[in-house]
Amino acid sequence: MERLVQLTRRPEADAGYESELERGMDFSAVFAETIGRNPDFALEVPEWADPPADLAETAWRALHEVADPEFPISLPDLGLVYGVEAAGSTVRVTVTFTASACPCVEFIKWDIRERLLAEPEIDGVVVEVTWDPPWTTDRITERGRRALKKAGVSI
Amino acid sequence: MTRFTDEELMRKVQEGFIVESDQDMTESYRKALVNQLTVQGDTELMSAPAYWMAAKDAPSTNTMVSATAIIQDELGHANIAYRILQDLGVDTDELLYERPPEKFKNPFGFDQPLANWAELVTANGLYDRAGITLLSDVHRHTSYGPLKRALVKVGLEENFHLRHGEAWMKKLCEAGGEGRELVQRAVDWMFPMGVEWFGMPDDRKRHNAQLDFKLKGMTNDQLRATWLKAVVPLCESLGLDVPAHSDPETGEVELEYALPCEWDADERRWLFDTTITWEQVFDRWRARGPMNEEFVTSIRKSRAQTEKLLAA
Repeated sequence: MERLVQLTRRPEADAGYESELERGMDFSAVFAETIGRNPDFALEVPEWADPPADLAETAWRALHEVADPEFPISLPDLGLVYGVEAAGSTVRVTVTFTASACPCVEFIKWDIRERLLAEPEIDGVVVEVTWDPPWTTDRITERGRRALKKAGVSI
Repeated sequence: MTRFTDEELMRKVQEGFIVESDQDMTESYRKALVNQLTVQGDTELMSAPAYWMAAKDAPSTNTMVSATAIIQDELGHANIAYRILQDLGVDTDELLYERPPEKFKNPFGFDQPLANWAELVTANGLYDRAGITLLSDVHRHTSYGPLKRALVKVGLEENFHLRHGEAWMKKLCEAGGEGRELVQRAVDWMFPMGVEWFGMPDDRKRHNAQLDFKLKGMTNDQLRATWLKAVVPLCESLGLDVPAHSDPETGEVELEYALPCEWDADERRWLFDTTITWEQVFDRWRARGPMNEEFVTSIRKSRAQTEKLLAA
C-alpha cells in the first residue's frame, strides 16, 4: 500500500526532526497558545553585555522579544526587521514579510507596537512596510535557524 | 492484518506500543481510528465553508488574507486526515463526494451560518480552541504513529487561528459599543455550542474504544473542562458574559446551567431553563443544522463539471 511520504518514519530524510521525536520530545507545546511565552517552547533571547547605546538600540533589543505568530522565532532572527530609527521618543521600525500574502501582517504590527510601547522611553511607534530588498531565507540568523529546527521546520 | 487480539493490543498500547502498519492493528482498532479520523477530517473540512461565509466580511485586504489563510489551513488539515484514511483503506472519494450530507460527522456548530466578522473571530477563539483541545490530546496520547507525526504541523497552524480569534475578540471588545455587542451576541450562542461539542458526560458514556486503544487520552468531561478553563477566563478578562464562572481558588470552571439544554433554532439562542436528554441532543445533531446541505454542496459543486471538461 502506498504511504504518505511525510507521515512515514524516515530518519534519514530529516535527522534533526525525527531524532527529537525519537527522544520523546514533547511536541504538545506546539498546541500552546502563547508560543513565545511557553517555557517548553520559549524564544531564545540574546543576552546583551552592555546597556543600550541609544533609544534605537533599546528598541532593537526589545524586538528580539517579539515572536513570529506561528513559530518561536523573533522578528529580527527571522530577518524581517530592516531598520530601527528613533526621533525624540518615537521609534520608526521598517519591516518586511516573508510573503506578500503573509496572513500575520496585522498581528506582527500590533505586536511590535505593543512591545515597544512597553518601554518607558518610547511614546510613539511607526511601523513602515517595505518589500525592498525582498526577504529570503538567507536573512534568518543562526539563532533563528536553531529555533525553526526545534519546531520541526527545515530551511 | 492482525497479529494481536484486541485485548493484547489494548494492553500493548497502554504500555507505550506505537502502531505503524496494518499488521500492528486489529479490526476493532482500525474501525475506531477510522471513526476518529472521519470526525477530524469532516470537522476541518466543514469549518472551511462556514469560515468562508464570514471571511467575505473581512474589514481589509490584509485581514481577508488572514481569514482565507485560516481556511486554507483547515483544508490542509482535512487533507491530512483523509490521506491517512486512504492509507487505512477508506474510499475517500466516496466519503467526500457521494456521502449524503447528513452523514458528515462535523459538530453541530459547523452546520450553522456565520453572519459577520465578529462571529468569525469568535468561532476562531472558541471553536479553534475546541479543536486544539481535542487534537493536542490526540497528539499527546495517540498510539497511531502516522497521526502523531502529522499533528505537529496541524498544531502550529491551529495556534495562529486561535491567536487570530482571541486578538480580534479583544480588539472588538476594547472598542466597546457595537463591536463589543456583536462579540457578546456571538459568544451567547457559540459558547454553549462549544460546551456540547465534547459530547456526553463520562457517567453516561459506556465502553470507549478510543480510550481503550489509546487513540486519545482524556475523557469527554476532562476535555470539556480543559476547554472551559481556557475559554471562560478569556471571556471574563474581556468582560463578556458566559453562563459559567471560574473558581478563583481552584481555577476550576463551573457551568451555570444544566447540560444539555434546548436550542431554539429559529431564534438562534439557548433555552438554559429547558433541560433535555442527550438522546434529544443526538436527535437534533442527526437532524442537522441549517447550513449542512449547502456547505457540503459548496465543496462538491463544480467537481462533476470539471471532470467532464477534463475528459473531453
